[in-house]
Amino acid sequence: MRISLRRTTMLMGFLILVWGGVPAYGQDAHLQLNNLEKLSKKAAEVVDVQLDGSMLKMASKFLSEDEDADAAEVKELVKDLKGVYVKSFEFDKEGEYSEDDLDSVRAQLKGPGWSRMVSVVSKREHENTEVYMMAMGSGASIQGLAIIAAEPKELTVVNILGPIDLDKLSALEGHMGVPKLGLDKGGTPRKPGGGQNEKK
Amino acid sequence: MRPLDDELRSALKRKEPPAGFAGRVMARLAGQPGRVRQGSWAQAIRSLFRMPKLRWVAVGAVVCLLLVVGAVRYQRRERAQGEMAKEQLKQALHIASSKLNLAKKRVQEVDRRSPES
Repeated sequence: MRISLRRTTMLMGFLILVWGGVPAYGQDAHLQLNNLEKLSKKAAEVVDVQLDGSMLKMASKFLSEDEDADAAEVKELVKDLKGVYVKSFEFDKEGEYSEDDLDSVRAQLKGPGWSRMVSVVSKREHENTEVYMMAMGSGASIQGLAIIAAEPKELTVVNILGPIDLDKLSALEGHMGVPKLGLDKGGTPRKPGGGQNEKK
Repeated sequence: MRPLDDELRSALKRKEPPAGFAGRVMARLAGQPGRVRQGSWAQAIRSLFRMPKLRWVAVGAVVCLLLVVGAVRYQRRERAQGEMAKEQLKQALHIASSKLNLAKKRVQEVDRRSPES
């Protein structure tokens, strides 16, 4: 009796060690963004993209029919992805959403597996941009990506599931027949030490 | 000779048919199919379907036609969904790319402003 109890305890301890030692395996990188639906009523423009694995495969199949190099780049980028979800709201005036609206999203991003890579807050311009990643195992490959971009009249949440190449994603802007947005705001240099910008 | 023998011989003697008998018989025989030919097309088609093999062939043809129509409609719907998914994917990746670059830009701005440690 004593021996079987000891063996059972060892087995349970081993199982807990195995399961506990694999933090990112099986973690779902899919964020629940339903809480943001209520902002659709106040937004002047809404972009809501929900592409799961099967829809991505279908889109990828039709990308093959486009003969331009951009389509090939996009196809290469999405070939291993399991989902792409985007919610973007553009408002006519400021103050149409609050930080509380993002609480549920941020709470999910505090869960196991997620790491915040970038957080840039500009209180002068009332902008907040955060980039989160979920890495698999030792961090060799990305399992998920989340971007929250909160601007005075625009709120965007992006959630990409699967291994995504950030360099290739970054290089896509300006392609696909869409011009670059031009992130430079004005030509005058800012005074050093001004504003409250923090970077992590 | 007995009178009975004479009567039997007379009764069983071959008699020539009256004139025009063969013609009248042939005309009557030709007239029967002529009645069907002179009838409506619907009657002719109906008579065809009375034959069981043809009925099954017709049913099979209708089923094949329905399958083909269904397959074409399904393919058109798939194409429409695929094109829409493709456009949505392009839009989503464009937004993701621009926001990622926005974050990078902000980080570079902060790096430029903060003194080297």
